[in-house]
Amino acid sequence: MTAKLLPYIASCGLLLLLTGWVWGLAFAPEDAVQGNSYRIIFLHVPASIFAQAIYLFMSICAVMSVVWRVKLAAYLIKSAASVGALITFIALFSGSIWGIPTWGTWWQWDARITSTLILFIMYLGVITLHGSFSNLEKADRLMSILVIVGLVNIPIIKKSVDWWSTLHQPASITVSGAPTIDPSMLYPLFVSILGMGLVLISLGILSSRLHILGREKNKKWVQSYE
Amino acid sequence: MQLITANNISYTINDQKLFHGLSFSLDHGSALHIQGGNGSGKSTLIRILLGISTPTKGEIKYMQPNLVLSYLGHQNAIKSYLTPLENLELIFPKAQFDNAYSWFKKLNLIGVQDETTANLSFGQQKKLALIRILANDSDVIILDEPFVGLDQATRDLLAEYLKLRVSKGASLALTSHIEPGFNCHALVLNGGAA
Amino acid sequence: MISVMASELFKLRKKIRAWLGPLLIMILVLIAFPLSIDISQYDLNKFYFSIIVISLLVISFLATETMFVEDFEDGTLEQIYLQERDFYKLALAKVLIYVLLIGVPMSLIGSLFSFANGVDASQLPQIFITLIFSTLLLFNLFAFGAALSINKGAMLGVLATLPLALPVIILLGRAIRAVQFGNGFYEIMALMIGAGLLVAALVPLVISITLRTHLE
Repeated sequence: MTAKLLPYIASCGLLLLLTGWVWGLAFAPEDAVQGNSYRIIFLHVPASIFAQAIYLFMSICAVMSVVWRVKLAAYLIKSAASVGALITFIALFSGSIWGIPTWGTWWQWDARITSTLILFIMYLGVITLHGSFSNLEKADRLMSILVIVGLVNIPIIKKSVDWWSTLHQPASITVSGAPTIDPSMLYPLFVSILGMGLVLISLGILSSRLHILGREKNKKWVQSYE
Repeated sequence: MQLITANNISYTINDQKLFHGLSFSLDHGSALHIQGGNGSGKSTLIRILLGISTPTKGEIKYMQPNLVLSYLGHQNAIKSYLTPLENLELIFPKAQFDNAYSWFKKLNLIGVQDETTANLSFGQQKKLALIRILANDSDVIILDEPFVGLDQATRDLLAEYLKLRVSKGASLALTSHIEPGFNCHALVLNGGAA
Repeated sequence: MISVMASELFKLRKKIRAWLGPLLIMILVLIAFPLSIDISQYDLNKFYFSIIVISLLVISFLATETMFVEDFEDGTLEQIYLQERDFYKLALAKVLIYVLLIGVPMSLIGSLFSFANGVDASQLPQIFITLIFSTLLLFNLFAFGAALSINKGAMLGVLATLPLALPVIILLGRAIRAVQFGNGFYEIMALMIGAGLLVAALVPLVISITLRTHLE
């Protein structure tokens, strides 16, 4: 089923993402303070949002895998982890690039950046853990346990790192309040977020299909494909 | 009277099916000899009976509450950096220690009781591990290749002990490529249904 | 429970390398640091604590790395499973014994070294308590890492649990600053003690599930 949908999701996603980017990059006005360099937010913000959202997705799968032993959930965790690691890296990298014109430095040890870095390492930890065990059912279960423990840790990390320092720009899009950035910048941002989401989903689907085929290769439905 | 029942169990690992559709029971006062070639899943079946591994399909039922199992597998569960005596002290609470120690003597381990266990021979370590079974009055005894590494005298000792316990009502399940030397039901695994 | 703790204590005491090793390494590291910098140039008091914290982190990891390997490999874990059907008591006992036999001396060493770097004698008990509860937290977390990776080597355990340990480090740093500058110590300690007790009660549960998974 996903085979049919995939081209649509992928192309929709790419289209949206590109639209958001072109709009944001070429047509949105210059920022009063930051000039043109702010435009990286069209990559950075969606990336950061999904870096965390994917972990949440992974934890839901992890719970399903551990409690109800749903095999598909376990396969999804592995794919989600790779996609998550990638997008977190992109978030960190784009944030670094943004840092140069705005703060004059590649790196700052502030709350959000540090938590994102820790999130990146957590993704890598999950991937490494799963890859270390040859008994795949055992690997799935251990990975799910780690993801769930990590989930408990995320608010702890956020609170503690926040407590420790803060320099990051306060959020300009809040759920309850009115956004503090101009609509002409906001709309391309939303479009980019949506676009990136779809691109990531399609990446995830591609990756999961590979995993599922690999894991189920002895089952009849796979062999009948050939 | 059944102590443990296995109902239609199958086991698959990494998409390889070891066995399927096995149904049998461990009964009061009877012995079961699980046989099969290398890799046929004997040790896995043992672990399923113990409750350590879960079968892919089917279920194991313990027909009585608080069933006491004793088990000896390929690993001895003794600490190599302690002496045999210290190992015994760790395994057996005070009340059962004397019984365990009398078996210790019967197995001729007195001479090495203060050596570090790592320096003992394979057979001596196995004898030490066996005490867990010999000094334990369990309802069910489950053994995975118990005779390997033992000298003939000890094998006879073990066989006698098992025969006696089974006659007194315990249930025994064992894998062994060496003939146990007493009457057992046979369960043969040959890469499929038994 | 007492008997489980007694057995674990007996076993750990016998494995001298397992408890003495981490302590000696900690001392070495704490001596090595001042040797590596120009003491006259720097105000050691200001950041020596950071070295104590880092060495606590690293040595806690070293000390707990092989906590469960032995029992897993020699079949003891299976025997325990047959008797108890879960590993909560084992995990709890092991962690507590390790904290008592290794963590408390570590905290003592750390406190003494801080003393050697300009801390008031009156502050010593506070530092000691801070370090003890930090080791309680760290040992629990790294024990979880050890349970996850069991015999697959150290790297896995670190990667998996270092992110969990970082909030503890932040907490510890804050507590030490509170001792040094004399403000907010009791609030931080309350947080640390609460977290420590909670973690010490819950992590063995997670460890038990993890060990059970390995056994299958």
